[in-house]
Amino acid sequence: MTDQRLRELLPGHALGVLDADDRAYVEAGLEREPEARQELAALEEIVGRLGLVATPVPPSPGLKEEVLREVGSAAATAPAGAGRAWTWLAAAAALLFAVGLLVVRAQRDQARGEAAAALLRAETAEARTREALAELETTRVLLAREQALRGLVGRPDTRLVSLGGLPAAPRARARVVFDPTTREAFLLASGLDRAPHGKAYEVWVIAAGAPVPAGLFQVDAEGRAVFRLSDVAEMAGVRTFAVTLEPAAGVPAPTGPMVLAGAVS
Amino acid sequence: MAGPSSESLLHRLTAGDRRALGEVYDRYAALVNGLALRILRNRSEAEDVVQEVFVQVWKQAARFDPARGSPAAWICTIARTRALDRLRHSTSRREEASDAAPEASEAPRTEEVLAVRKALEALSAEQRNALELAYYEGLTQTEIAARLGEPLGTIKTRIRTALIRLRDLLRPVTP
Repeated sequence: MTDQRLRELLPGHALGVLDADDRAYVEAGLEREPEARQELAALEEIVGRLGLVATPVPPSPGLKEEVLREVGSAAATAPAGAGRAWTWLAAAAALLFAVGLLVVRAQRDQARGEAAAALLRAETAEARTREALAELETTRVLLAREQALRGLVGRPDTRLVSLGGLPAAPRARARVVFDPTTREAFLLASGLDRAPHGKAYEVWVIAAGAPVPAGLFQVDAEGRAVFRLSDVAEMAGVRTFAVTLEPAAGVPAPTGPMVLAGAVS
Repeated sequence: MAGPSSESLLHRLTAGDRRALGEVYDRYAALVNGLALRILRNRSEAEDVVQEVFVQVWKQAARFDPARGSPAAWICTIARTRALDRLRHSTSRREEASDAAPEASEAPRTEEVLAVRKALEALSAEQRNALELAYYEGLTQTEIAARLGEPLGTIKTRIRTALIRLRDLLRPVTP
């Protein structure tokens, strides 16, 4: 990070002690510099831990009941996490059967908006140009992926397989959208814990013989992933899809716990 | 610690598991209340904050990212934010520190707490003092400088150095 002033203000910002003009400077800088955002996150984590040394004082006994009651009345609208995961999966299902590809279009529009913003930033300093070009490339990759998924959905030969979570990941759910002829395949997963450091989720295609590896993926902070499987010959005769937790570099045959599996009907 | 990890409890919250919220409350309510009391020095306001914090934890459990820090630190961040917010906006009577917390209990001697304590002890008394004014009273650098009768530049450096020192002493809590 070249902006020394920004770097020096980050600790104060994490602690919340900056005066208004310094705070504004940092907020503007955070927009420009992903490195600054990372450094700030690390400092905020430290600040978060400072509270741990406060002397605990038990609150009034009735308070717990009040909290649970207040939350109980809010339970009709399930907490954001659960609601969003299932709504998202339902939207993914709608992707396959419905005419309107609203989810894909919204993502595409968002990707376009991000592309437009990236172009704007590219017109300023050279370092920022390089950064903006890297983001554009990611956006292009995302756009291409969305278009491929949309194309896949539109074809009559496309198959859908539902995968259920196994005891190692009881809340996990996934669907595989694939075309056995072109061997294009996408996995849409939710409800997975983030893989521990040094590990990743590996997808397996099982036809008549041993499981064949079809790629590695990670989930986002909300436990979701949209992943394009590798092109494997076995896709043409696939009978089962499975996902296991493996070392991050992947393995040629499954060794780790299985988290998802589903059979082609 | 016996029982499920706090990370897994938070994860259960995202599935609407109210019993998990009860367990999270049992683990952290006293800490949150103690922190809120230290900031607000008013028992009923502190308890209001406790309630707000656990409702927010319930609603935003999906946003907790274990790669970014521990559940305890996340909950403390929410607690401090809400308590400082209330401190700035309300004019309730603030009690003396000794009146506000007569039933203080023994702080849990978990590795996490001990590590933070140890790191704080490695700072100078002046650094600790400046951090405490920032953390518990929500003062700006300018206000801290005025309170301590020190130049603003000195305070800026002191706070920055202290936090960087803490960061270097404390390994990030990533899985």
